[in-house]
Amino acid sequence: MSKIKNILQVRWMSSLLFLIALIILTGLINSDFLTYDNIVACFNASVVFTLLAVGISFVIMTGEIDVSIGSTMGLMAAISGLIAQEKGSPVKMLILAVVIGTVVGIINGLGVAYFGVPSLIFTLGTCGVIRGLVYIVSQGKTVENFAGDFTGYGTQVCFASITWYYAIVFVIAIIAHLLLTRTRRGKYFIAVGDNPGGANLVGISVFWTKMAAYVLSGVFAGISGVAFASKYGQITISAGNGYEMSAIAACVLGGISLSGGLGNIAGAAIGAIIMSSVTRMLVFIGLPSTYDDAITGIMLITIVVIDALAQRSAIENARRKRLLMRTALTKADTDAKGGAEV
Amino acid sequence: MKLVKQLFKRWEFILLILLVLEFVVFGAANPAKFLRPASILSSITNYISICIIALFVTFVMITGGIDIQASSIIGLTSIIIGVSWSDGGLNIWVSVLLAILAAALCGALSGFFIAYCGVQPMVVTLGGSFLYSGLGLLISGMSKTPAYQGISGFPSKTETGAFVGFRFLGKGMLFGFLPTQIFIYIVLIILCSVLLHMTKYGRKIFLIGVNPQAAEYSGINTRLVIMSTYILTGIGAAISGILLTSNVDSAKSDLGATFTLSIITAVVLGGTLSTGGKGSIIGTALASIIICILRYGLPLCFGVSSQNLDLPVGVILIIIVVGRALAESGKLYRFFMPKKKTS
Amino acid sequence: MESMLSVKNIYKSFGTNAVLKGISMELKGGEVLALIGGNGAGKSTLMKIIMGIYQPDEGEIRVAGEKAAITQPSQALALGIYMVPQEPLLFPNMTVEENILMGFKESASVLKKRLEQCIQELGFDLHLQRKANTLSIAEQQLVEILKGMMREARILILDEPTSALTFDEVRSLFKVVQDLKKKGIALIYITHRLGEVFEIATHVAIMRDGVVTLSGPVADFTKEMLVQGLLPPDTEHKDHGSREYKAIDYSKLKPVMEVKDLSGYGFSNITFNLYPGEILGIAGVVGAGRTELVSTIFGRDKVLSGKVFLEGKDITGLSTKQILEAGINYVPEDRHYHGIFGISSIAANTTSALLNGKAVGSFLIDKKSENGISQKYVDDFRTKIVSLADLMSSLSGGNQQKVVIGRALSTKPKVVILDEPTRGIDAAARGDVYHIIQKLKEEGVAVLMISSDMEEIMGLADRSITVYNGRINGEFDHADITQDALTSASFGIVKEAAS
Repeated sequence: MSKIKNILQVRWMSSLLFLIALIILTGLINSDFLTYDNIVACFNASVVFTLLAVGISFVIMTGEIDVSIGSTMGLMAAISGLIAQEKGSPVKMLILAVVIGTVVGIINGLGVAYFGVPSLIFTLGTCGVIRGLVYIVSQGKTVENFAGDFTGYGTQVCFASITWYYAIVFVIAIIAHLLLTRTRRGKYFIAVGDNPGGANLVGISVFWTKMAAYVLSGVFAGISGVAFASKYGQITISAGNGYEMSAIAACVLGGISLSGGLGNIAGAAIGAIIMSSVTRMLVFIGLPSTYDDAITGIMLITIVVIDALAQRSAIENARRKRLLMRTALTKADTDAKGGAEV
Repeated sequence: MKLVKQLFKRWEFILLILLVLEFVVFGAANPAKFLRPASILSSITNYISICIIALFVTFVMITGGIDIQASSIIGLTSIIIGVSWSDGGLNIWVSVLLAILAAALCGALSGFFIAYCGVQPMVVTLGGSFLYSGLGLLISGMSKTPAYQGISGFPSKTETGAFVGFRFLGKGMLFGFLPTQIFIYIVLIILCSVLLHMTKYGRKIFLIGVNPQAAEYSGINTRLVIMSTYILTGIGAAISGILLTSNVDSAKSDLGATFTLSIITAVVLGGTLSTGGKGSIIGTALASIIICILRYGLPLCFGVSSQNLDLPVGVILIIIVVGRALAESGKLYRFFMPKKKTS
Repeated sequence: MESMLSVKNIYKSFGTNAVLKGISMELKGGEVLALIGGNGAGKSTLMKIIMGIYQPDEGEIRVAGEKAAITQPSQALALGIYMVPQEPLLFPNMTVEENILMGFKESASVLKKRLEQCIQELGFDLHLQRKANTLSIAEQQLVEILKGMMREARILILDEPTSALTFDEVRSLFKVVQDLKKKGIALIYITHRLGEVFEIATHVAIMRDGVVTLSGPVADFTKEMLVQGLLPPDTEHKDHGSREYKAIDYSKLKPVMEVKDLSGYGFSNITFNLYPGEILGIAGVVGAGRTELVSTIFGRDKVLSGKVFLEGKDITGLSTKQILEAGINYVPEDRHYHGIFGISSIAANTTSALLNGKAVGSFLIDKKSENGISQKYVDDFRTKIVSLADLMSSLSGGNQQKVVIGRALSTKPKVVILDEPTRGIDAAARGDVYHIIQKLKEEGVAVLMISSDMEEIMGLADRSITVYNGRINGEFDHADITQDALTSASFGIVKEAAS
C-alpha cells in the first residue's frame, strides 16, 4: 500500500499510469486499439511535442515561462525547408537550429533574468518578433516541395516499428532527464524554481541558471523545427502557432508545476505523448476528432485542480500541525517538569 | 512645469503622445492614403475583438491574474449563436442572450477554480482555452452546416443594402459615419472606466491586486471578486464573438482563436502591471488603438507586408517593457549616471 | 585556546533607527553561547551581519583570529559559519539528500559517504529519500544542522531551534548540541527559553536595545539575574502615556467581549473578558500564539472549540466581513503583509474596510465622503502627508501605521485589536499612537493590545494577561503589572505571588 503511495508521489510515474489507463480505457471500448503498432504509433507521433515540452520544461522548472518556442520552431522549420529545397544536409539544419535557438534563448534570458521583465510578457514580445522573421525568411510563402528524401526520414523505422526520430528523441529525453535529476548543475534548475532565496544562499546563480534554461528551451525548439519540417514537408508562415500552449499543457499533464521547482523531463515527455495520442485514441473510441480539444481541456483542468487542492491541504495541514504542536508542548513541559514554576 | 512633470509620470499620457506620433509619422509619409477617417475607423474595427476583450482582461490582470481563454470563448459564442439560430430555430436575440450566458458560465467555471481552489490562473485558463474551443467544435458538429463553411445568412440586409437587426451590430453605421462596432466599443470603454475607476467594486479589484491579504483583513470577499473578473472577460469575449459573427456573417468555432497573445500585448502595453494592482481602462484602450493604427499605417505608408505585422508589434512590446523595467529598477538611471563611489 | 569568532564594536542602523549600538562578543571552540533578548533587541540583525546578509556600519569580525570581511552568505559559508534559520530555508520539493548536498562541488559518491558518516556520528534518524515538504519542522531543522555539518562549519548558529519542537525532539537536539560541543565546534544558541540556557549553554549573553547588557559564563548567573538583564534600566524613561492613570470601576461594567475556553491552531483554552473603555494587554514572546489567537477571533482561521461573544451575541467562527460588521476591527502585526496597500492611495487605504457598507457610497465611490473620512483620521492622528492621493508606500512606517489604525476605527468598532501597534515606528509616532489608544479608551472603545514591549503594557493597560506557548499563564490587574512579572511570565516563569 505504501509502495503504491510512493509511486504516486513520483509525479512522472503517476503521469505514466495515467497514460496507461488511457490506453487501457481505449482498449476496453475498442479492443482493436490494443495492438503493438497502434500504441507505438502514439509514441512516434509525439516527436515534435516531446522536443518542445522537454525544452520548455527547463524554463518552467525555474519558475518562468517561454511562449516564444512555437515561433522559434516555426522559424527553424521554415529555414530547414529552404535548405531542404536545395538538397542541403540535415547536419547544416541542426547546426543552425542550435545557433538560432541559442540566440533566442540568450535574448529571452537577458530580458527575464537580467532586466527582470515578467517572463510571459517578454517572451510574448520575442514570439512576435520571431514570427515576423518566419515571414521574412519564407518571403511570405509556404515552404514546400523539398528535394531529396528529407521528408522520408520521419517514417524510417529504427526497430520494432519505432521510427528513428522517436528513438533519437527518446534518447535525448532520457539524457536530459538524467542531466536534470542526477547531475549537480542539473539540479540547479529545480533549486532555483523551488526556492530562489535558498538557492542563492548555497551559492547557486539564479541569473545563469535561468539563462541556461532559456538557451536549452530555444535549442530544443529549434531542433523540433527541423523535425517539424521533415514530418510535414510543408511549412506555412503560421507554422507552430499555438504549439507553445500545447507544450505547456504537456508539461502540466506530466506533473510539472508552473510555479517551478517541481517535476522532471520524463514527465514532460509522457505529457507530450498524452497530448498527441488523444486524437488517435478518439478514433478508436469512435468519437470524431472534434472531441480532441475538449477532452484535453477537461484532463488538464481536472489534473491541476486536484493537484492544487492536494497541495494546498498539505501545506495547510503542516502549518496547523506545527501550531498544534506548540500548545501540546506546554502540556508535555508541564507533565515532564511538574510545571514551569520557579 | 510641475503639471507637465506630473503628466509625464502618467503612462496614459505617454501612450497618447505615441498615438499622436503615429498620426504625425504616418500622416507625413502618406497623407493622401493614411488620413482617411473611414479607413482609420475600419482599422480599429478589424481588431475590435482584441480591443474589447483587452478592456475586460485589464480587470483580471489588475487582480494579479491572467486570462488566456477569452479568445477561445469568441469562437464558442459565435458557434452557439449560429447553431441555436440556424439549427435550433431560436430567435436571433435569444441566441445572442444564450451565447452571453454560456460565455459567462465559462468564465465562472475557470474563475471558480482560480479563486476557490487556488490553481494558477495561467494553467486554468490554458485548460479553459482547450476546453472551450473544444466545446465550440463539438457544438459546430451538431449543425447540419459543415464546420469549415461557417453558418451564414444572419438577419438581415435590406434590399437597399442597409444592415438591420443582428447584422447592424457588426456592419451598421450610426449617423452615417460611425460604425456601430466603434460606438459599442466607446460605450464599453466608458462603462468599464466607470466600473473600474469609480465604483466600490473597481476599488476592491485594485486593492486585491495590490495586497490580497490586506484585502481579506479589510473584510473584502476576495474570492468572489476574483471569480467575477473572469465572468466579466467571458462576457467581453461574448460581445466580441457577437460583433465578429455579425460582421463577417459567419458563425465558426475557430473565430478569434489566434488573438490570445495580442490581447495580452494590448493590456500590458496599456500599463497594467502583470503582478496586479495597477492599470487603467484608458491605457488599455489607447494601447489597443496604437496597435491598430500601427497595423494599418505600416503596410500603407512603409510597404510592410500586412501579413508581417507581428515583428514591429513584438519589437515595440520588448522595447517598452524593458524600458519600463529599467526605469523602475533604476538601472536606466544608473546607466546614465554612474554611481559615485562613497568612501 | 584562541577564539573562534569574535565581533568587535559592531554598529548598524537602518535609516535613523540604530539597531546595534556597539556589540562585542567572543566565542571559543567547544563553547555554547546562549543569546537571549526580547524582540527588536538586535539578535537577528547581528546574526545576519555574521552571515554576510547585512554589512555592519562599523566594527570588525574575526574568524579564528583572522579579520574577515563577509559581504555575501557564500563567504560566510567558506569561512565555516553556518546559520540554522528559525524558519528553515529548504527546497520543499527535493529529497533530504538533495537538500543537504545542493551546491556542493565534490562528486556525489564522496559526498554521500561523508553524509552517511555525518548522520551516523550525530545519531540522527533521518530517511534521506524523503521529500523535504513531508518533514516536520524539527526534522527540517535536523536537515539544516546536517547542512551546517556537511560544510564542516566551525561556527554554528542556531536561531530558536526549539520553538517548534516537541519535548522528545528537544531532548535529541540537546544531545546533538552536546556532541557538537565535544567536537570543538563553537555554537551560538538563540532562545527565548531561560530554562534551556542552564541546560546546554556554557556562556550567556543578553541583548537589549542593541547592546549587550550582561554576559559571562552560565555558572555565574541565576534565572532571576537573567530576567533582570532583560529588563530596562530604571533610568531610561520613554513616553508611554502613563502620566495619569484613570482607574476603571469594573463592578458596574458588563463585558463587551467574552472569550470562553477558546482553542484554535496555535493557542488553547483561552478565557478572558474585555470591558468597554478598558485596555487589556496581551504580553508574551513572539510565537506564543497571541497573533494566532486574535486573528482567529477576527475570522482568519478555524476555531477548534470554545466560544466568542460580542455583547452577548455569539460570533464564533463568523467570516471576517461579518466580524467587522459585528463591531470588531484589527490592526495586524505584520503591517506589510496584512496591513497596507502599498501602491494605493492613502484615501483608498483608509476606507478599504468600508467598501462593504454604504459609508463611501452605495455603488459609485463617493469621493467627498471618502476624502472626508480619510482627512478626519489624518487630522486626528496628526499623520504627516502631502495629499490623500499619495501612495501609501511613500509614507514612513509610523504614518502608515496611523493610516491603518484609522482604517480600523473607520468601521466604528466596539472592540479594537491592536497587534504590536508600535513595532518598527519611530519615537514620535509611537507617542502619537499611545495618545490615540488613550483617546479610544476615553471614548469607551474596548482595546485589546498585543505587545512584546512590556513597558508599553505597563504604561497603557488596565489589565494584562500573558500568553506562553499558546496558553494564558498569568493575569494581572493594573497594580500588579510590573516589568518583572510580565517578562518572567512571558518567558514561562510564573512567580507564585503574581497570579
